[in-house]
Amino acid sequence: MADDSRLARPLEYYRKFIQNDVRPDERSLEEFRPTVLNIGCIGTAEGSALVKLGTTSVICGVKAEIAAPKTESPKKGYIVPNVELGPMCCSTFRPGPPGDQAQYLSVFTNQVIQHSKCLDLEELCILPGKYVWTLYCDMVCLNYDGNVGDACVLALLTALQNTYLPTVTWNEDSECLETSDSTKIRLNVHSQPVSSTFSIFDNHILLVDPTKEEEDLSTGQLTVVTADEAICLVKKPGGSPLNDRQLAECINRAFSRSKEVVRLIHETLNSVER
Amino acid sequence: MAGLELLSEQGFRIDGRKPSELRRIRCKLGVFNQADGSAYIEQGNTKVLAAVYGPHEIRGSRSKILHDRVLVNCQYSMATFSTGERKRRPRGDRKSKEMTMHLQQTFNAAILTNLHPRSQIDIFVEVLQSDGGNYCASVNAATLALIDAGIPMKDYVCACAASYVSDTPIVDINYLEESSGGAELIVATLPKSEQIVFLEQNSRLHEDNLGPVLDLAVKGCKDIHAVLDQAVKDHVAEATAGSSIE
Repeated sequence: MADDSRLARPLEYYRKFIQNDVRPDERSLEEFRPTVLNIGCIGTAEGSALVKLGTTSVICGVKAEIAAPKTESPKKGYIVPNVELGPMCCSTFRPGPPGDQAQYLSVFTNQVIQHSKCLDLEELCILPGKYVWTLYCDMVCLNYDGNVGDACVLALLTALQNTYLPTVTWNEDSECLETSDSTKIRLNVHSQPVSSTFSIFDNHILLVDPTKEEEDLSTGQLTVVTADEAICLVKKPGGSPLNDRQLAECINRAFSRSKEVVRLIHETLNSVER
Repeated sequence: MAGLELLSEQGFRIDGRKPSELRRIRCKLGVFNQADGSAYIEQGNTKVLAAVYGPHEIRGSRSKILHDRVLVNCQYSMATFSTGERKRRPRGDRKSKEMTMHLQQTFNAAILTNLHPRSQIDIFVEVLQSDGGNYCASVNAATLALIDAGIPMKDYVCACAASYVSDTPIVDINYLEESSGGAELIVATLPKSEQIVFLEQNSRLHEDNLGPVLDLAVKGCKDIHAVLDQAVKDHVAEATAGSSIE
């Protein structure tokens, strides 16, 4: 019976729950879904992480390649994030070239990296003007159950913290690069950007970490990305207007989430330290 | 033999297996909730995910409708980070297209296609980490995903590869053995009825040796079937145990 009304009148179904400050999956309105991290699950990648946010799953693999730098920035390496929302993760995605949402998420993750300054691109330099590292960060969504943006940022950050690059040195005599696989250097991650997404329900109620169902019913969305003690990105793409107080609430929640996530990453990294 | 010794004098392979030994298989059904059926399989270092949607209405062009049977639509894709060198195109290159075709042919032969005329079944396969035997792992994962989705099939489809190295047939070959230039025999069978639904052989192999290699590959399929069957039984037992509490 409950399932019928959920399908036929989802909005009414949700309102009944939200009146009592609870969601159908027994979460309170400001509670994230249980977050699970699995680090270093892909052996072929330089760094990797699998993130589960409730049932939403994203896997991120970092592959490093040597490339030539741009002439205007001879010391800077590249970082290329890419989000893939294939037909596997949800029935609404079609096979073919990346859709709007996947491209939006790729740009979003790129902005997060740029604005949070979590990587110093000059540290990716091998020989100025000649060789630099390119880090391809591919995030593949495996199961789409809402809030993929947060999951992507978390997967990316965790994978980067788990990335080990082989030491490459320039041999002046033979004029070629020498790689040593035995000594690997961990990538320096300077700040820890954490994203928190809120969906707006019925124009005034804020739900943190929306599921797919909640995203479909929402009248607007707000994403706050924090990097350690600072706010590095706030995005509110249209939708219902919010007031100052609500925005401040969101930012507060984002900071407390950031602490939770940083602690989780730290614990997981320590438990698998190679 | 020059270079790499694929089979040591003591009769062990590079990864320490005996010639007739499979890699460790770990699998799990029902890993995702969005898909109608899903499965994850690990065969040694090869890790594959499969998701099944359907049977549902035909998507896209209506001209693809088959009036007497279901349309089986497959997509094989390899994550860009799944191989040693980064893959530029996760799908759409020739190798993946070929793999997609092979999967489609295999499952057309195993699914009871006439039960759902004018509909479509999607099988999506994603290789997360590749260490040889991608086709085999994909078929095994897709079989589990189809079972999880409750799609009627003639039998499990189990696939296994085999090769022939220094006068010995070897089963379930890994990437090194696959790329060493020796013969490669890939077979997909319906283990109960011992029928072969897919067979491919690459590179040169003497006619007299085909028999032993094929026998070993078919035996490998049977062993894989036993593992998959156990996984399905465990999954069903777990699912029913949960429902009896309610």
